[in-house]
Amino acid sequence: MTALHNLAAQADTPPRETRLSALLDGELDDAAARAMLREVVANAAQREQFSEYCRIGDALRGLGHDSARLRGRVMAALEEEPTLLAPMPKAVTRQPVLWLAAATVAAITWGLWSMAPRQEDHARMAANEQAHLAQAAHDDRMVPYLAAHQDFAQAVVAPSEMRFTRVTLAEADR
Amino acid sequence: MSDREIDLQLVERVRAGDKQAFGLLVEKYQRKLLRLLSRMVRDPDEVEDIAQETFIKAYRALPQFRGDAAFYTWLYRIGVNTAKNYLASRGRAMPTLSEQALDEDDEPDERLVVKDIGTPESELLSKQMVIAVNEAVDALPEELRQAITLREMEGMSYEEIAEAMDCPIGTVRSRIFRAREAIAAKLRPILDTPEDRRW
Repeated sequence: MTALHNLAAQADTPPRETRLSALLDGELDDAAARAMLREVVANAAQREQFSEYCRIGDALRGLGHDSARLRGRVMAALEEEPTLLAPMPKAVTRQPVLWLAAATVAAITWGLWSMAPRQEDHARMAANEQAHLAQAAHDDRMVPYLAAHQDFAQAVVAPSEMRFTRVTLAEADR
Repeated sequence: MSDREIDLQLVERVRAGDKQAFGLLVEKYQRKLLRLLSRMVRDPDEVEDIAQETFIKAYRALPQFRGDAAFYTWLYRIGVNTAKNYLASRGRAMPTLSEQALDEDDEPDERLVVKDIGTPESELLSKQMVIAVNEAVDALPEELRQAITLREMEGMSYEEIAEAMDCPIGTVRSRIFRAREAIAAKLRPILDTPEDRRW
């Protein structure tokens, strides 16, 4: 299997001599391009070849300036410059922020969930309500009252603890 | 790996202490930069001084380069600012292009054709180079000429060229390489890079 992978990789890898040309055209895969760049930077003959290919491309695009002198001047001036040691910052890792956001969302969700009435609470409350209403319906004293208020039966929900007492004016006078 | 990513890789190498990698960036963009600056400053010696200063400034500023813009776009802005400061310090105005044209954030407009100015020596060499390259291209076999032209002048990818020429990508890669080598062979006697100018 590994041999097959190697064969496939070899088939995809451009022949050695064409790699610099392909690099310049941005036509090498990441791994091959990195390897080629390492080679070019380290090898004077390859840098010269890189330089020739750049000149040819520029000449074909009408950029014919002779600038071998400029590169020499820049490189000589760079000798006086301190060597940079500031590697590219790695892509900012978002993980701590994501964890914090996830924890916040989880805490809020849990808080809301624990404060909200549960399904079984609803069922229990409804059952209690029904029981009280049934009990009240069987109470003879409540019949006239319920009959008088049946039009509002759906609209008014009396708390189950409320007790109704029939009071007449005559009784109040006593 | 795209052209822009290659530049970023080179920048990364420079930032890790490899100055030779900066030389490749100089090699790649110096002619473009020289042409840009020659639109702003007429004296060829001044153009080269400003170009050198631009590259040194870019080198010093590399730790701040984040790769949000392409390397050349970033270099271009440094070049324009360096030239402006240079001219301002001498109480001179830019002679050829409007500020607006040079302040564009995008890549410089290659359609803005202004006569390039160089030393007699560099102009002669430039002319010789262009003639030699064109002659070398004309002398190429048809399939090599077509491949290098589509790549360098039309900016087509290998895949697009393969489609246009109805051949595998590997063949395109090989044709472009062979075309470059054939042209380079004809350029070498003209360039005849002196020892002190070699890498």
